Amino acid sequence: MTKTLYQVPIVDPIEFFLMVRLTHNLLTLAFIAAALSCGNEQPITPVASGLGPRQGGQVVVAISSDLSTFNEYQWAPEAAEFEVLDLLFPSLMIEQPDFALRPPSFGERLATSWEFSPDNRQLTFHLRSGARWSDGVPVTAEDVAFTFSVQKDPQLGAIGLEFKEFITGVEVLDPLTVRFTFSHVYPYQLMDANDGHIIPAHVWGAVPRAEWRTTDFSQLLVTCGPYRLAAHTRGQTIILARDPAWWGHPRPYLDHLVFRVIPDVASQVNQLLSGHVDVVRVVPPRDADRVRANAELELIEFPSRDWGYLGWNNARPPFDDRRVRRAMSLAINRKAAVDSVFMGHARVAQGPILSSMWAFNRNLPILGHDPEAARTLLAEAGWGDSNGDGVLDRGGKKLEFDILYPATNAIRRDLAQLISADLARVGVRARPLPVEAATFLARQERGEFTAMLAAWTEATRIELSSVWASRSAGQGSYNFISYSNPEVDRLIAGARLEADHARAKLLLDRIQELIVLDQPVTFLYERNELVGLSRRIRGANINAAGLFFNVQDWYWEP
Amino acid sequence: MGRWLLRRLAAAALIVWLVATATFFAAALAPGDITLRLADTRVSPSIREQWRRTFDLDQPLLTRYLRWMAGAARGDLSTSWTTYRPVATMIAEALPNTVLLAGAGLLLELLGGVAIALHQARRPFGTGDRILTFATLLAFAMPTFWVALLLVEVFAFRLPLFPPSHMRSPAGEMAVGWQRMADLAYHSVLPVLAIGITGVGAIARYLRGSLLDERAQGYVLAARGRGCSPRRALRVHALPNALLPLITILGLSLPFLVSGSLVIEVVFSWPGMGQLVYSAALARDLPTLLGGTVVVAVAVVAGNLLADLAYALADPRIRLGDAA
Repeated sequence: MTKTLYQVPIVDPIEFFLMVRLTHNLLTLAFIAAALSCGNEQPITPVASGLGPRQGGQVVVAISSDLSTFNEYQWAPEAAEFEVLDLLFPSLMIEQPDFALRPPSFGERLATSWEFSPDNRQLTFHLRSGARWSDGVPVTAEDVAFTFSVQKDPQLGAIGLEFKEFITGVEVLDPLTVRFTFSHVYPYQLMDANDGHIIPAHVWGAVPRAEWRTTDFSQLLVTCGPYRLAAHTRGQTIILARDPAWWGHPRPYLDHLVFRVIPDVASQVNQLLSGHVDVVRVVPPRDADRVRANAELELIEFPSRDWGYLGWNNARPPFDDRRVRRAMSLAINRKAAVDSVFMGHARVAQGPILSSMWAFNRNLPILGHDPEAARTLLAEAGWGDSNGDGVLDRGGKKLEFDILYPATNAIRRDLAQLISADLARVGVRARPLPVEAATFLARQERGEFTAMLAAWTEATRIELSSVWASRSAGQGSYNFISYSNPEVDRLIAGARLEADHARAKLLLDRIQELIVLDQPVTFLYERNELVGLSRRIRGANINAAGLFFNVQDWYWEP
Repeated sequence: MGRWLLRRLAAAALIVWLVATATFFAAALAPGDITLRLADTRVSPSIREQWRRTFDLDQPLLTRYLRWMAGAARGDLSTSWTTYRPVATMIAEALPNTVLLAGAGLLLELLGGVAIALHQARRPFGTGDRILTFATLLAFAMPTFWVALLLVEVFAFRLPLFPPSHMRSPAGEMAVGWQRMADLAYHSVLPVLAIGITGVGAIARYLRGSLLDERAQGYVLAARGRGCSPRRALRVHALPNALLPLITILGLSLPFLVSGSLVIEVVFSWPGMGQLVYSAALARDLPTLLGGTVVVAVAVVAGNLLADLAYALADPRIRLGDAA
């Protein structure tokens, strides 16, 4: 999955199911108390005998919604859709899940080798010979150049556009050689060149760009991947069949991948438990124990790239005062709240870089739960209970505010209530305020809040400027909390251009220290990814790089 | 009759137009639009403006409304903002699925309701009647989604007799001919039962009451006096008259055939109109939402109109028109 690369605030993705669940909740819980019958009906046709991988069979994967498009540059597909598109379209390279140790490295995919020019401004890819589109036409450098022209087209405004910002041109040297030119040298040149799937120039190039957005690309589907589309019933089922023309032949081992649209996540889990589906991508924390208890199933848990925070409006009193923000973080029992809401499937976030990343500062000072220290800080900032009503005040103004969150998000609702109770104990009146999701986004963007519960999905690149650098006028920024620290700005700008990651790490460590000291937000949680799958599927290496990272190696236990 | 029909048709068109207009403005004035999806991504403001131009969102509300109305009048329901396909095509795909499911469900509740009511009316206030009264009241009172979940739990998970969701199995998707049909029928059992069970109570309760009323009427007593068996008197004489009010119920059920049951379609992953309109509303896909609403509005007025017409045909005491 190459498209984990942008930062996305989670509003709907933290689970459409939570909303459906508001209604189904109690009943489903009551129903599923007892063990459910299991019976996998996957037809398996062993080809080879003996131990080791076998050809054949199908894996059924539950998805929450159908693919909205087969052309990712048409609009903004959701992350789950990219996992399907990743099976149908090639990327130049495949990002490796080694970001815990260093900036991610890349493995070969459509490109079999690549090299930088001596000045590092040019990057040349050598493409695989023998890669063919599903209509038999070879995949060439022309397709790469065409894809780049689509990614850069301002008329289309594809969402990956900003990753191509520093790529000034893509040049076809010969049918299997293509050269990217960059405006300057920076740490993520490979990542930016790789972002987005390569699309067929000879078919999609014929669609005028003006009609691009209203074209039904399923009618023009030409693919190149381990699988090709075998059947698609809208809103129901996508069936992918092994593509015998793929370069990895005879792999993949599995004949078919079947995607079943099941909008309700509780139903997805029930069908996993009953053997009707083999893989559920997002197992809700509350169902984790049931999946784990089932002898037929395996629960794979690894750190996700999502983290949540309680954002303070740094431009507005009382949170323009660092002491007050720090006091809030000290007053909230973050560990208890996160453990209770995620049932142990998340950890407390400590700073602006995910703790699973190579750049995370392991020596960050940890802000524990210390209501006494919080009271002292608040008193220093001039907040005291002058009239004895239990709520702190200063100059006749009470310390009270709303905690804004999207109404459909049950996780944030629970967090808001726990936080509100913690803050009440130090004399702060924080009222949970659910608002409609669109309103939430609009108010977040316009800074119309005092406190809000929000979340981000982080890229595997370290990109701190859009969220933590001071907001400059007219520029698209995600610093909704109006955080501003000139020292942090300077360090971020320096780290962005530092190609040597050991030297960059020193700058990033300092940035994390400063941000944690400032507490522009109260860092809350880093969620874990929970994937449920049948134990009889062998060879699967499911990790943060994607569900189908090594799908070609999956096979059914003999 | 002709003038009456014309007037009703004009009123129907007016209602559909009003519904479409109200939906358009309500949806357009709600906070946020489709480009909110772009708020999630780091695109520059100029690109967001580009998107808004593509979807005409930079135009004044009235212009957008007039454009949409002009298209709709020609049968062009515009293009979906989430799937980039013609809304009319999407509706054409979803509608048969809903008609199939809701139609079979309606048929089941109708036949079941008539059978239960006939049985009850033979010996009213006996033990059987009391048990059935309790059962039908219970069925009537149970929420549809609960019945649906219960059926799935019992007949798909505990006793794996039926599939828990979808219209077809993966194998069925690839099959042709009667195998494909059989697969579909097999997958329809639980959702149709869920609709039928919750609907059967209402019909049975209604019909039992009107059967008992009719049974006490002179014409039924006269039939009995002429030596007609109680069974025949009930079925041949009382039933046709007792069924008249059901015309209204059926007329009111026609929109259901088109709008579908959102709950059933979500629980059973059934790709019908309910799901289509619901997901369009969530995604702020205005053209799809509007298209779906208009089609449902047409079904509502058509259902009422047909019910009135059917009444006039079935019951000679009712005359439509100015003289009535």
